[in-house]
Amino acid sequence: MLLAVLAIPLVGAALLWRATNRLATTLHAVTAASTLAAGLAVAVMVNAGETLVAFDGLLRADALSAWMIALIGIVGGLAASEAPRYVVPGEPRRFYPLFHLFVFTMLLAVSTDDVGLMWVAVEGTTLASVFLVNFERTRASLEASYKYLLICSVGIAIAFLGTVLVYFAGIQQFGDETHALRYTTLLRLAPGLSPRVIELAFVFLVVGYGTKAGLAPMHTWLPDAHSEAPAPVSALMSGVLLSVGVYAIARFKPAVDAAAGPTFARGIMLTLGLLSIAVASAFLWTSPNYKRALAYSSVEHIGLVCLGLGFGGPVATAGALLHVANHALAKSAGFLMSGRIRAAYGSAEIGSVRGVMKHMPRTGAAFLTSILALVGLPPFGLFVSEVMIFAAGFKQGFPLVAGIALLLLVIAFAGLLRGVHHILYGAPAGEPVAEVAGWPSVVPVAAALGVLLLTGLAWPPGFGEALDRLAAIVSP
Amino acid sequence: MTTASNLLTFLCLAITLLIVWRRSWPARLRLFAAQSLLLAILAGTIGVLAQRRGLFLVAAVVVVVKVWAIPRVLARIGSGAPVRPIAPGRSSGIALLVAGALVVAAYVVMLPVTAAAELPTGGAIPLAFAMALIGLALCVTGRDALSHILGFLVFENGIFGLAILATYGLPGIVEAGVFLDVLVIVLIMEAVVVQVRREHASIDVDRLRELRG
Repeated sequence: MLLAVLAIPLVGAALLWRATNRLATTLHAVTAASTLAAGLAVAVMVNAGETLVAFDGLLRADALSAWMIALIGIVGGLAASEAPRYVVPGEPRRFYPLFHLFVFTMLLAVSTDDVGLMWVAVEGTTLASVFLVNFERTRASLEASYKYLLICSVGIAIAFLGTVLVYFAGIQQFGDETHALRYTTLLRLAPGLSPRVIELAFVFLVVGYGTKAGLAPMHTWLPDAHSEAPAPVSALMSGVLLSVGVYAIARFKPAVDAAAGPTFARGIMLTLGLLSIAVASAFLWTSPNYKRALAYSSVEHIGLVCLGLGFGGPVATAGALLHVANHALAKSAGFLMSGRIRAAYGSAEIGSVRGVMKHMPRTGAAFLTSILALVGLPPFGLFVSEVMIFAAGFKQGFPLVAGIALLLLVIAFAGLLRGVHHILYGAPAGEPVAEVAGWPSVVPVAAALGVLLLTGLAWPPGFGEALDRLAAIVSP
Repeated sequence: MTTASNLLTFLCLAITLLIVWRRSWPARLRLFAAQSLLLAILAGTIGVLAQRRGLFLVAAVVVVVKVWAIPRVLARIGSGAPVRPIAPGRSSGIALLVAGALVVAAYVVMLPVTAAAELPTGGAIPLAFAMALIGLALCVTGRDALSHILGFLVFENGIFGLAILATYGLPGIVEAGVFLDVLVIVLIMEAVVVQVRREHASIDVDRLRELRG
């Protein structure tokens, strides 16, 4: 099953390279749907207590991997349902194949046991998505893709340096360990590794993968790439690509904790998390563009996840991992709706869009709902995961960090809502814009928001236990 | 082995400083190719002395990718770019001074690694790291796309050198991934630069200033 979930998007991408028009759209839909199905199947199998392994352990899916695989499948399906709107018939421009290649690289990154292969896959995500960012080929999107490629390549090279140092520490201590780059091995050997080397390695890893995750101050590529990319790509990037960066950090964290004690990684994570939230809440007030505002909101939420991982312990870690999923669903829904608004009004500037609620009631309602979820209002899941993170933070003796973060969150909350209010309810100016699609087109997004209600109001039976198992992997 | 690795890595670092100093694009490109060749020799030498056959393959790939293919692509990108005049207030002297400071910083940062290193090549690790740091600085402070790419490649060379010195090379799948990545990045950069040139009639990224806030 693990092989299937990787093979489907890869084969799909290969087939789509040649396909055109109707055939391409059908193939695209089939690929996305089967990736989603396979991803959910992996999650179910792993949740039943099975750890999936392939290629002599090179590929390995434990509960954390399965969580990410399912998430990538879901957000991938959501984004795929919106993609045909952005593909001009007769001019495929390689959108579909790159889309699925992008999904494949993310899936590979979270389903391998080898941190070297994970590095290759994360780098692959940049290469697969850089042309997707520049899909509209405007000056702004060109600039965004250039920045994206350059900053993320440098970042990921720094992560490679960290990986090299981890490998170095492993073989110094234990000679030629054949699988010294496997994190299962790493975790086993961790207590004997040189703490100073591991600390240095972790700094490089956090800077490197943190660039990909969009943590401040390495986030500078993110608002550009997210706002210039077509909405389905923004949804994928914001929803799961950032989380893949966080996943990479979370994979190394237990080994670092075992080698160097928990305070070292915690200090770094809390600092970067707080800084990210601070930067995001400031820019949420000044951003003149609603897609950029959504992008800064991603920086804020990744900062929150980082904070949760930094606090550590079962509750905060479970909260952080749940927050990853909640944010992925809410943010991808928000980006997809913002793409429709942008297509209808021809502008992503907050100043030039108003009265969406009147002209496009369905899109507007879905957009508003996702924003309300994003700012952390109950009854949506983000409220629950934020409460978990902050409660644990206060309880475990970090009242100052948690207090400041909470204050910043309120500032971000107001900043985001201010812009959105203007877009949705401002007095309609100019010609009315007709809603382009009927009810069925909102169904995928509504389903995502429905899941958010589920994680916010009523956890299905066994969900709490599954989250505990996840948290135990990152914070044993 | 210690002498050979120290000498070769030191030469690589010296070339890095020359890249910082020189302003003409073809000269910098030749220096980069020479640096990559030295790295290939380093990999080969360690391969012989430590009896690691895998490193011969790595050295061969370095020659093909970094000594031959990438400089060709970069020359194609750079053809037509005017020899960059030194901007007022930005002399090579200060850049070299910064590079010197980075070498010292590299020794300080790498202290725990050199302390833990047991391989005979361990002494050269800070030199390779200094190379990486200077490349990073070149990349970050670069004013045009070519400087960005070159800085990135020097940075990557430094990390590659460090990996060989510290671990005698990573497992094959990772090394292969690294080379593929570097090559693809350069090719994508070429595509992007071609488009930048078409749009802006220059490869001066200072003109990329639309996205703010």
